[in-house]
Amino acid sequence: MKPYVNKFDTPECKTLAETAKKSIRTPESMGLDRCIQCGACTASCPAARFTDYSPRQIVKKVIENDRSVLESEMIWSCFYCYSCNLRCPRNNSPATIVQVLRQMAINEGIGVEKLAYFLEIGEFLAENGASKVPGAGVKNMEKDLGERWIGIKRNLEPIRSELGLSSRDVRDTHGEVQAILESTGYFEREKWIKARIQENKIHGFLKPAGTKNEKKRGGFGFESDREYTGQQALTV
Amino acid sequence: MKAIESIPDSKLLLFKSCMVGQEYPGIETATSYVFDRLGVDYCVNDEQSCCTGIGHYTDVFEGLTTAAIAARNFAVAKKCGYPNITCLCSTCYAVNKDACELLNNNTEVREKVNSIFREKGLDDLVYEKGDMNPRTNIYHAVEVLLSKVSRIPDEKKFDFSGVKTASHHACHYYKVKYLDVVGNPENPQLIDTVAEACGASPVRWYEDRSLTCGMGFSQIHLNKNTSLQVTKAKLDSLQREGVELMLHMCPNCQIQYDRYQPVIEKEFGVEYDMVHMNIAQFVALSMGADPYKVCGFQTHSVPLEGFLEKMGII
Amino acid sequence: MIDGTTDRLNKAAVFICHCSGNISEHVDIDAVKKTLKAEGISVFDYEYLCSSQGQSLIKNKIMEGNLDRVVIGSCTPSKHGTLFKKCIQETGLNRAGLEIANLREQCAWVHPERTGATEKALSLLRAKLKRLENIEPLDEIKVDIAQQALVIGGGIAGITTALNLADNGISTFLVEKDSSIGGQMAKIGKIFSPDKLAEECAMCSLSPLMNEVAAHPKITLLTWTEVESLSGSAGNFTIRLKKKPRYVKDSCTACGRCSRVCPTLVEDEFNCGYMDKKAISLRFSQSVPKIYCIDPDYCLQLNGEACGKCADACKTGAIDFSQKEEIVELNVGAVVVATGFEEYDASQKPQYGYGIFENVLTQMELARVLGINGPTKGELLRISDFSKASAVPTPAACTSGRESSSAPSSDSSSDSSSDSSSDPSSALSPGAETPKRIVMIQCVGSRDEKEGGNRYCSRYCCMAALKHASLVKKKYPEMEITICYIDIRAFGFYENYYRAVQETGVNFVRGRPAEVVEKPDKSLVVRVEDTLSQKMRELPADLVVLSAAMTPSPGTRKIASVLNLSQDESGFIKERHSKLKPVDSSLDGIFVCGTAQSPKDVTDTIAQAGLAAIRARAFITDSPKMLDNEIAVINQVLCTRCGECLKCPFEALSLNESGRVVLDPLICTGCGYCTELCKDGAIQIAGFTKPQLKAEIEGVLEEGDVLGFVNSGISSLTCDNIGNSVLTYPSNVKLIKVPTCLVVDRDLVLHAFKHGASSVLFVEDPPDSPRAEIIYPLTTRHVEKLKEELGDSGNRIYFKKTYVPNTKGLAGTFIRLAREGEVIR
Repeated sequence: MKPYVNKFDTPECKTLAETAKKSIRTPESMGLDRCIQCGACTASCPAARFTDYSPRQIVKKVIENDRSVLESEMIWSCFYCYSCNLRCPRNNSPATIVQVLRQMAINEGIGVEKLAYFLEIGEFLAENGASKVPGAGVKNMEKDLGERWIGIKRNLEPIRSELGLSSRDVRDTHGEVQAILESTGYFEREKWIKARIQENKIHGFLKPAGTKNEKKRGGFGFESDREYTGQQALTV
Repeated sequence: MKAIESIPDSKLLLFKSCMVGQEYPGIETATSYVFDRLGVDYCVNDEQSCCTGIGHYTDVFEGLTTAAIAARNFAVAKKCGYPNITCLCSTCYAVNKDACELLNNNTEVREKVNSIFREKGLDDLVYEKGDMNPRTNIYHAVEVLLSKVSRIPDEKKFDFSGVKTASHHACHYYKVKYLDVVGNPENPQLIDTVAEACGASPVRWYEDRSLTCGMGFSQIHLNKNTSLQVTKAKLDSLQREGVELMLHMCPNCQIQYDRYQPVIEKEFGVEYDMVHMNIAQFVALSMGADPYKVCGFQTHSVPLEGFLEKMGII
Repeated sequence: MIDGTTDRLNKAAVFICHCSGNISEHVDIDAVKKTLKAEGISVFDYEYLCSSQGQSLIKNKIMEGNLDRVVIGSCTPSKHGTLFKKCIQETGLNRAGLEIANLREQCAWVHPERTGATEKALSLLRAKLKRLENIEPLDEIKVDIAQQALVIGGGIAGITTALNLADNGISTFLVEKDSSIGGQMAKIGKIFSPDKLAEECAMCSLSPLMNEVAAHPKITLLTWTEVESLSGSAGNFTIRLKKKPRYVKDSCTACGRCSRVCPTLVEDEFNCGYMDKKAISLRFSQSVPKIYCIDPDYCLQLNGEACGKCADACKTGAIDFSQKEEIVELNVGAVVVATGFEEYDASQKPQYGYGIFENVLTQMELARVLGINGPTKGELLRISDFSKASAVPTPAACTSGRESSSAPSSDSSSDSSSDSSSDPSSALSPGAETPKRIVMIQCVGSRDEKEGGNRYCSRYCCMAALKHASLVKKKYPEMEITICYIDIRAFGFYENYYRAVQETGVNFVRGRPAEVVEKPDKSLVVRVEDTLSQKMRELPADLVVLSAAMTPSPGTRKIASVLNLSQDESGFIKERHSKLKPVDSSLDGIFVCGTAQSPKDVTDTIAQAGLAAIRARAFITDSPKMLDNEIAVINQVLCTRCGECLKCPFEALSLNESGRVVLDPLICTGCGYCTELCKDGAIQIAGFTKPQLKAEIEGVLEEGDVLGFVNSGISSLTCDNIGNSVLTYPSNVKLIKVPTCLVVDRDLVLHAFKHGASSVLFVEDPPDSPRAEIIYPLTTRHVEKLKEELGDSGNRIYFKKTYVPNTKGLAGTFIRLAREGEVIR
């Protein structure tokens, strides 16, 4: 399958850094080129605190135009909490750069399975004008949150009515949201992603076990590409 | 830095939040309850759609879709004559601000979005540069509460003196558009100041005050263990400080702390003494609102009955 | 002396220099001579006119022929203009009678073709002759400079400047807002020596200088005094000072009895609030002047309560509650601003906990804690462990290196403290423990683009951190010290000191910490990524020391606005040129040095202060000052007092009491903007009047020539550099030097077209200096307007901004315009 073209999030450029700077996901005056690798981002990062994730190293790879970063598990660990964005003394924004990298990875069909939990958001939004956690995610939450939450969700309509709200949070968008999602190409992309997920699954079955993970390391050469064990970071 | 005096109290579109609507509808009713009593001129408009935030930050939506949906919501706000978008959710706040900036500054995106509208015969949605100002048209409901903080004591029915509260200021409120925050973005005080007006004793400083809730959009599903460790770190710190009530300004954070607190207790073998609510629910409560018919506490995972009894509310 | 209208050119002569072939190889000097002689003009030539023989020739010919105007054809006037001016002035000639034609850089060197070069030389000489037909003598403008200087700020920069000025014979006033001079250096306790690799007592270096200031016959010291306003202009400033009452007369012997009986405690700002002092006190024990001072905000007597205990205790009757604020006016020739820095308010970075956690402090505060005259008498304690020390200040002891020994102090009241440093749990703070771990965080508020931060590097903090680390390590060898840094900037010989500190066992972690966390026992944890090992670290600490940025002091900000000096974006006072004029402020006669100008350490401050003193002295002693007379001249007969010219961007023009427009010759830059504003032709720039420029245009132009009006500053230099760079352009490009293109009005441009110019080019200086920043936009607007007004002819007007290195580009423009001119012809 051909790569997906997403020219606003991931404009075609010579280098990763250029794409990151020109993407509509990143701030206009982003100090990517001015990065001094001070590590304020990593030191402030919740993911880095509990795993080997490092926004500083991601930025370094982007500056070095090392495209193997797209295949790294690392980029899927960001919380999008923007702590790095707030702290960077050079006005760089690793959190938004990672968003661009994930979009680039998706375009190549890399890591699309990570989206599986969320893919029906668009359809629900088109229909109801609101978003909700889609089926796959809900199942997850039911498992974790248990009976009390399931009960709350089951009772939501009478509760909303008691509060004086409409029984369901449905918006009256006159079909406009549906029309917009059609025109921006959202549904096509969703279909494309679903197809890639399928394809990757088949690929995974055909490949001998073990090779897939090795490839995913993308030649990073640092520990961060290890499987996440979620262990406490080393403290001194 | 945003000047508190610049925050409007009229023509506010109370921007509906999907996570509020589906998890904590009481936040919306409590905010209306408080706004009514503080003389805030606002409206709720069912034509307004989701901001796309959940999809945007789980990488499902591309930036163009988010911009187009935002442009539509801006048109809704302008058309109904309530152009000051006031969000209940910090992600709605950040997404709308980002999209507004993008639509103003990026001609290519604006023209593309407008061409989509025209192509679909939605000409009344067309966004012209400067239709909305990201700094003066988009607010968070807590900012409005803060701007009216001096009037809260007049409306107060319950005094929460001695209640040790701690606030969790949402990342997408103060870390995304950090230049546009009330106060120093490294130490936002909005919730604490409002809580204090209700008589509470906020713990202004605690370890990991600026730590994210841990939800991380896809992280709670993809890397649940790390996600919960992050949440736990903050809960641990609050437990050490003896906090009994944690106050929120974003339904996503509230889900993470309220819904997952029992999960963390079970999985990590710990126990926490704190309960959770949105700051608007807290203000409404102090103004005498019904904990169930207005604040909607029956949708919370960590039961609030103990707290409410202690306070003599139920 | 000269009647320009009758004599015309009877008494004129031309001198041509061969420049040892530089000119004569390209210009046929004999042909030029022949042509001019045929027109009845005397012409002389010589191998080197700039030699003493050459100058004698000129002088002799002037005397012999009773000449009154002289044209010299030679190299660029920027090379030997002053020399030739002096030469003809020695014969009694007014300098208006001298014109220099640039036959080298703008003729011989750029036109390889001999006929063309010769023709151009002729036209250049003719233009200058033509200009001389109507000369008006230029008056000498002399201004007397007040023979005294004012230094604002009594820190190490101000002290050094004042001493250098005074030692050079200049009467100097030193103004200090605090009750003692000494500034920040008095607080820092130790200074490091990169060659001895040791820390030395700062006070031992500073104190003698402070005493020298007090004793110097040429220095008037005004402490407890602030600058209110400045008026007048360079060379004659009037400064209004506000002298606050000390309520203690000079007869004070500093015995300290008053302080001992004073019942009121005040926070001691000098000791960063870590201890209290009395409401009557010395700033520190080595204060200069050594006169006590009463804090009027806290003194009971001054706040209406009967106390007066200090007056009772004073044996010399020095206490005087009736003292009033005084206004002092000074007349000075030059001012040096040395108002210094303040430490960045680290509470703007709450993530580091300053102002929230007790045991987070700044390097400056650590300096006080380590100071032998500080709150703990030099003993290092956790801030949360020591209670405020007693009020009576004890005299500082002097320590050198590891050994600490008390220095006998002649008039000290008590000397009991110097042995306390060896005892870890002193009586001062019982139960206090010496911290075991210190983490220092570099670049707090520096190298920070975020709001509240500063983008610059503060220059001193790396070395301050190393110094303190070394000091602590020497006194407490077991102390674990970690410095979190982004880059260690130990420039020059400082690297030696860095190496020495590394060897003491100080740890270095490369990473900018995210945050500081406080634990229940008030100990701290610093969260940082060690970017070299790529590990997240949580560094435990008993004290966290922030190396906070250096920012302009409130005094620096205030003085900049009182004196109307240019500041940079951070509020430091901007020098005129970072390389060539590092201590000249944007205003003539006002100089700046030390940390008021930019962040720097003591060493650099002292070096710069010396330069400031020299520059101020040079300015003052050049009296009476001969001013450049190519400035605006007002014809009061033509002036209608419409006030248009008062729009002068430099505010050089004003109305005097009788309503006449007057010019401040010290302020006027001669830019010519006023000549454009004046609709009545009442203002001209001396040496560049409309008739003079018209004459030069007529003289220089041939049909089809390109005429360039060149700004006499950088633009002229660039034109000359075309010659120096062995580039060429056609000989029908003719250049006329003007102060700026603002003096060239519509008439002059039309005149140029009438006399054959195919195009008119304006060459202007870039907006790179404070003066050009103002002028450049005016010139672009001026040229736009000319183009508009002249319709079709306006299309033949060109504008070029030029930089000195841009010789190729400018020559290219010349060539292009000359070629276009040919096409039109």
